[in-house]
Amino acid sequence: MTDAILFWFLALVTVCAGLSVILMSNPIYSALSLAMTMVGVSALFVTLGAYFIAGVQLIVYAGAVMVLFVMVLMLFDLKHEIQAFTRGKITGAIKIASVGILAGLVVGAITLGTKAIEAAKATEAVAGKTYDNNTMSLAQNLFLQNVFGFEALGVLLLVIAVGTVALSRSRGGTHARD
Amino acid sequence: MPETNILTTIGLEHYLVLSAVLFSMGMAGVLLRRNLIVLLMSIELMLNAVNISFVAFSKFNNNIEGQIMVFFVMTIAAAEAAVGLALAVSIFKRFKEVNIRFFEHLKG
Repeated sequence: MTDAILFWFLALVTVCAGLSVILMSNPIYSALSLAMTMVGVSALFVTLGAYFIAGVQLIVYAGAVMVLFVMVLMLFDLKHEIQAFTRGKITGAIKIASVGILAGLVVGAITLGTKAIEAAKATEAVAGKTYDNNTMSLAQNLFLQNVFGFEALGVLLLVIAVGTVALSRSRGGTHARD
Repeated sequence: MPETNILTTIGLEHYLVLSAVLFSMGMAGVLLRRNLIVLLMSIELMLNAVNISFVAFSKFNNNIEGQIMVFFVMTIAAAEAAVGLALAVSIFKRFKEVNIRFFEHLKG
């Protein structure tokens, strides 16, 4: 019962914070709401038993990425946006309708698919597999089975660091040659 | 099969529906907002929604591979935020505003 209350509370907090990310017209409020969303998602990971992922989520997203966003916002010194949303009522309505159709599609697929998962579990007993949900098994899987992906991510981060420095050294757009 | 209450028994589908709702909100933000920074924030929102569904599947299917995938998604998200913000800084230096419509001037 307590986990149900916790889930509904966290879902409410996360959805409200996520809504305010896209509805606030001042970007700094959007950034703060996004930080709140990150904290809510991290708490949801805790309710799912993924403690290490929750810690990484707090450190990487709510720490590093959000500080990056807020630093860039501070650099820009933006006021309230006059034109925060897209122009045109018809195209806006079409966009909102397409988002609603996507949400309905996904929810319908989920409700259909979870029944199939339950049926598969009942037949072939997926739950019988050994599974230690702790940091050690996570590290063993990461460094034994997925070590190539891990190294590829290291190369990706190096490339991104070099590319970001090269981008920020340019004078703003390829037309600016002055 | 025992009768389960949807409000008190939290299953896989609860997390998946929450993930779908968050993803749709991020998609609405990407489609509707004009500010480049808020666009990037909406993309982060969508990636977080996907992470929720990965971890939920990992728990309910007793498979730790989903949490490995969350690591990879987080790294890609951090890299994407870095490049996107560098582009935003580049746009702002040129046009003194970070509206998405200035991106058409970036072509060579």
